[in-house]
Formats: sequence, structure tokens, C-alpha cells
Amino acid sequence: MSGSSGQRNVPAGTITRGWWSSVASRAVGFGCLWLVLAGAQVGDVPAAAVAIAVATWTSLYLLEPGSSRRSLPAIARLASLFLYHSVVAGIDVAGRALNPRLPLRPGFVAYPTRLPRGVRQNVFTTLTSLLPGTVPAGEENGQIIYHCLDVTQPVLADLAAEEAALIRALYND
Amino acid sequence: MNLARDIMTIACVSTGAFFFLAGTVGLLRFPDTLTRLHALTKADNLGLGFVVLGLLPQAEGLRDGLKLISIWMFALLAGATVSQLIARAVRRSGAR
Repeated sequence: MSGSSGQRNVPAGTITRGWWSSVASRAVGFGCLWLVLAGAQVGDVPAAAVAIAVATWTSLYLLEPGSSRRSLPAIARLASLFLYHSVVAGIDVAGRALNPRLPLRPGFVAYPTRLPRGVRQNVFTTLTSLLPGTVPAGEENGQIIYHCLDVTQPVLADLAAEEAALIRALYND
Repeated sequence: MNLARDIMTIACVSTGAFFFLAGTVGLLRFPDTLTRLHALTKADNLGLGFVVLGLLPQAEGLRDGLKLISIWMFALLAGATVSQLIARAVRRSGAR
């Protein structure tokens, strides 16, 4: 997993303002996460402050603030597509595991992705590795190699649908 | 209303347990490391998801509910990243 990649060809003033607003929004996000996980106790404040600072720094280091627009309806569509694929394919994997004849046709499939190497491709592989039936197993010549339980399934079409939804949701620039 | 909540909990947690069972059976029956990896990650994704969904109606408040959902998200994130790393390592080394 490679670290950071981003676009630096944006005017400097925009970057600074955008950068500080991502620092603030990420710190608030981590603060909320702390409240959910650990609760609100006065004695915890120093530990919470350190954890939020370290988490924010790490997230900025690993994932540079991007300039692309995010659309909430598209994110909701991506989430529902993801849930639908998970349930359908999860039932499929469970059926194969419990089937006495164990119907597997495992193999590798190369998916020619439109996403650039780096963070975007990593987000895509992470998302698709959660989908039953596909596990990303590296890349070759700009193509992502997926290991599939059944290579006769329309894996490439599902991946393309997922990629299109991801681009509409997060990388619509 | 309590009855409806309990029924939802029983239904969802049982579904989650079924997916964990199927994942475990897959882990034992599938022939090599990569196919077993499928069985494992899928059990986490759907099995834990249904267990969390079933526990939500029993949560004491909003915070407990959000906590359950974050636990699911963390398990998903960990499973998603680690399964890729294992798959890459297996493919590179040619292990079975």
C-alpha cells in the first residue's frame, strides 16, 4: 500500500484554506469517534486530545486533503450498491461452502482500472476486497489482479459498476 | 414493541451466526490459502454486520448504537486491508 498521492497543481491560497478546513473537519470527526467509543469523561480529556492530534496528523500524512467534490447522494448510492453486492455474493459464497460438491472454479482475473495508482486505487481495492467472491492480490501492468472463487461469474462487470459508483461518489473531478 | 424488537434481534443474530458458520465451514473445506481467505473475510463482513444489526434494537441509547456500528466498521477496515496484504504475499510467494 503506497502512502500519499495527490494533485499539487492548485493555487497555493486554495490549498492552505482547504488544508485547514480538512484539519478541522478530520479533528472533529476523530473527536466524535472518541466520544462514541470512550464516552465523555473529564478525566479522559488529556488522553483524548493526544489521540485526536495523533490521529489527525496520521490521517493527513497518509491521505492528503483532495480537491475533488464529494456528492452525498452518490455516496449513498455507492453504499447501497456495496450492501447489495455484499449480501448477494455473501449468500453465494455461503452456498458454495455448504454445498456437498463444493462448486469452486477459483482463478485470477485482471481488471483494467481507470483509477490512478496510489490512494484512489487503494480505496477501490479495499472496497472491493470486502465484496464476497473477490480478493485483490496485487497489480500488473496497470491492471488489478483479483482472485475469484468462481471465474465464470460476471466479476469484471460487478467491479466496473462498483468503480463507476466510487468515481461518482468521491472522485468526481 | 419489545416483542418486535426481540424478534428482530433473534432473526438478525441467527442470520449472522449462519454466515459465521458458513464462513467457518468454508475455511475448513476450501482447498488453498486464497480461497480460504474469501471464506474468512466474507464471514466478517456479513456475519458481524447481521449480529450488529440484531443488537441495535437492544442498545441502551444512541451512543451504544453508534459504538456497535463503529466496531463493525473497524472490523471491516481491518479485514479489508489485511486480506489484501495476505493475498498479495501468497501470490508473490506462490504458496498454496
